Amino acid sequence: MPNKNEFDVIVIGGGITGAGTARDCAMRGLRVLLIERHDIATGATGRNHGLLHSGARYAVKDSESAEECIRENKILRRIAANCVEDTGGLFITLPEDEESGYGLDYQAKFLEACNKAGIEARAISPREAIEMEPSVNPSLIGAVVVPDGSVDPFRLCSANVTDAVLHGAKVLVYTEFLDFIREGDTILGVKVLDTRSGQTAEYRAAVTVNAAGIWGHGVAAKAGVNIGMYPAKGALLVFGHRVNNVVINRCRKSADGDILVPGDSVTVIGTTSTKVPFEECDHMEVTPEEVKLLLREGCALCPSLASTRILRAYAGVRPLVADDSDPTGRSISRGIVCLDHEARDGVKGFVSITGGKLMTYRLMAELATDAVCRKLGVNKSCTTAQTPLPGSMDGRIENVSKRFEGKPTAGQKGAAGRQGDMVGKILFETEADKQLVCECENVTLAEIKYAVRELGVSNLEDLRRRTRVGMGTCQGTLCIGKAAKALAEALGKPELAGKLAADYLDERWKGMRAVGWGDTLREMEFMQRVYKYQKPFSYDEV
Amino acid sequence: MKFDVIIIGGGLAGMTAATELQKSGLKCAVVAEGLSLHNTSRKEFAEAGGTLLAGDRVVSGKLSSGKLLSVRTEKLGDVELEAADFVLASGKYFSRGIVADMDKVYEPLFGLDVEYDADRSAWFDASFAAPQKFLEFGVKICNCHALKDGEEIINLFPAGEVLAGISCAQGDATDRIRSSAMDAVSAIRRK
Repeated sequence: MPNKNEFDVIVIGGGITGAGTARDCAMRGLRVLLIERHDIATGATGRNHGLLHSGARYAVKDSESAEECIRENKILRRIAANCVEDTGGLFITLPEDEESGYGLDYQAKFLEACNKAGIEARAISPREAIEMEPSVNPSLIGAVVVPDGSVDPFRLCSANVTDAVLHGAKVLVYTEFLDFIREGDTILGVKVLDTRSGQTAEYRAAVTVNAAGIWGHGVAAKAGVNIGMYPAKGALLVFGHRVNNVVINRCRKSADGDILVPGDSVTVIGTTSTKVPFEECDHMEVTPEEVKLLLREGCALCPSLASTRILRAYAGVRPLVADDSDPTGRSISRGIVCLDHEARDGVKGFVSITGGKLMTYRLMAELATDAVCRKLGVNKSCTTAQTPLPGSMDGRIENVSKRFEGKPTAGQKGAAGRQGDMVGKILFETEADKQLVCECENVTLAEIKYAVRELGVSNLEDLRRRTRVGMGTCQGTLCIGKAAKALAEALGKPELAGKLAADYLDERWKGMRAVGWGDTLREMEFMQRVYKYQKPFSYDEV
Repeated sequence: MKFDVIIIGGGLAGMTAATELQKSGLKCAVVAEGLSLHNTSRKEFAEAGGTLLAGDRVVSGKLSSGKLLSVRTEKLGDVELEAADFVLASGKYFSRGIVADMDKVYEPLFGLDVEYDADRSAWFDASFAAPQKFLEFGVKICNCHALKDGEEIINLFPAGEVLAGISCAQGDATDRIRSSAMDAVSAIRRK
């Protein structure tokens, strides 16, 4: 009988890169273990714009990245239809861009570069741009339409994990990598800590893949390998409703706060780029300076942002990697970095996959899996570019919704939008199941039960990443008591409700504190009033 | 239009003060945005003969040598509502009795002196359940009078959550709000 602690490959990191790699490895028939110290999509994966890049942003400076992006853009629309929204995108030129050398001459250069990279781009008049996206800055002097979109990174990551499991992978969340098991120059596996039970365990595999994002620096160091990484913090703001329906970019050299992305019920502006120390990566706080900068640049794209309530602020860390070919370590590789540490450092059984971006996660996973297969002597080719993810099989939500008896309710429509063809597994058995728990995002009790049953949820943050519960305009103010009760009951631990709610509120509070003035502060006072003074659930027992 | 007392705000503090004052024979008017108006207190005030300007809000006031002479409302436009005394019961952030922007906290109607911490990082505690300093901010008073640039406005009496030190998160908030309203009532009666 095979040892349950033995695998062909261990993947460290439950972000999109690790999830994609686990899926690809499992689809090629490997026995896979994925370990993640928190929950899936808790690092940079869940802390970005959620932009489905067309690649246009890179077209002028970096044609290779641009071509990579548009290829993956087309693939994701196919395999992850349920995670992608085809909003289209605009690159706008403002009068002040003329003065800084990014006027209409630059637009012509931009168009040419896009078309050369295979990105369908066409210039439209300012009037057409305003008709297409009424919230755009009306003083624009030019606009280019590109095939940008938005992508839900939580859903995308969850779909990859789900599919990996369907293909036999074992996924352990809340399992922290402690150290390698090593014999001479060969990595034999990993020692881990179950952060919930406090138990340690050992798992062995012929190959271990480091897909831990910025934390991969520390993972590699444990193997005695140095990857020159730069943590680059990016701050973003979420606005209280969907201000724009089309992605708005600034047509100039990439700068801070020049992309505005609509996603589900909100709009996100970002981002900044600041080098931060490694110690800060676990405790990101958005500063007032970053907020000011994002607001200023955001208002240039879309003036109505000035009077729109900011829901919250958040920040992620990009895992930028120093180019191995540059001995000074100063030049940064923006592309995908796949390192076979046997060839590079003489450490056997160890591969790192890093750099890259959300958009190219599938390609990163393919490259990492190719490297794993070479090491294992497995000759199977990658099929992830052709095989749709769970939830995206039917493609069209209209088809999925037909499975409901009669006219689907708002909650059922919401569930179909989020879970795609997986919605068939959500059981609307009683009237209570159909009741909405989260009214901003239309999440029903049935969907919460499904997430607990099928998607590995153990707290409200996990639930939020899989169902969007509490992510809407009220930030959980009006639903978290209900959601905590429903989750605690679904978990079979009703006594946990108060603790679940308190932890969730602390997390929401963190995002609101950074933007705590104006209408956000009004909301914060309201939140305090609801939970402290009126005490809808027994907060005192927390 | 002329009243003995105009009460700005129809929440718990405003309606408590208004009903008490009206019952003691003063001619009162309450200007209140609908939402916060409690049916029972509204009825009691109306039965005592008070004037209710519901669904309206004060937009400006005329101050002269340490006194508030009159206020204007959104709906009545140019009409000046005069009174001998005024109660400011406009609440805190949610009802916009107090407004915070990125750099400061202020009282939007009259620019009254507000007690707050200039260091924004001190406004919040990381734990949602812990006491939050921003909820303690509010207008300052001296002898129950509002202050502007350190000088007392001798006929403007703040009450309820607009005051520094009173917040919705306090367990005994209702008692504190009522008692601040009664303080304003006593001060007006003494005059």
